[in-house]
Amino acid sequence: MILLVAVAGGLCIGIGVARWRGLPYQPPALQYLWLVFVAFLPQFVILYLPNVRQQIPDLWAAALLTASQILLLAFAWLNRKLPGMKILLLGAALNFTVMAANGGFMPISPQTASRLVPQEILQEIPPGERFGTKDILLHPEDTRFEWLADRFLPPVWSPYQVAFSLGDVFIALGVFWLLARQNHSGSFL
Amino acid sequence: MKTTFNRLVLSLTSVNRQHIQLAFIVLTLTMLVLGVGAPEDAGGNTLRK
Repeated sequence: MILLVAVAGGLCIGIGVARWRGLPYQPPALQYLWLVFVAFLPQFVILYLPNVRQQIPDLWAAALLTASQILLLAFAWLNRKLPGMKILLLGAALNFTVMAANGGFMPISPQTASRLVPQEILQEIPPGERFGTKDILLHPEDTRFEWLADRFLPPVWSPYQVAFSLGDVFIALGVFWLLARQNHSGSFL
Repeated sequence: MKTTFNRLVLSLTSVNRQHIQLAFIVLTLTMLVLGVGAPEDAGGNTLRK
């Protein structure tokens, strides 16, 4: 959700600035688009289709998720000259590092997870089990690169609770910049 | 009349192509950030018991 907000926000700012300057909006000139479709397909199947998700062993899911992220990192690297892509690439690399070091999934502590689901549901999930879409429930002391895990939360009073990582922050900033910045000379973005 | 029609078709084709290209780019970037990002809100039926 927060990443989709970054995409929508960057697009709105980019189009708004272009119109304000009386120029057509220029989307980023991405190359190798097919790579993203190829890379994202396995993630879509194993993470977002409930029937498939329940049938695929966690080991396979972790392997496919890792392979998918390697391809997406390659795409970001191939497009690294675009403004904002290096920030996105940094975030993707941070997430990849912590996930690869923790069995292919993003670690989240029980304490952080308790802000997302009721305690009675959380008690039924033992440490080491998958949690949510890409996460795995791990105690901080059992987590490698804990500072890169899903450990950040919005304020308690926020109606939308989400756990996110440092890598997610860079990814959101990168995609926002990528869509908001226009290549017209003299543009302030 | 024919020239006007041709201009209109050409204009619509151009606009559609630009819109489709933009939609394609946005879709690609959405898949990219969803693919490399890992925020968790534990929503829906994604929790395993």
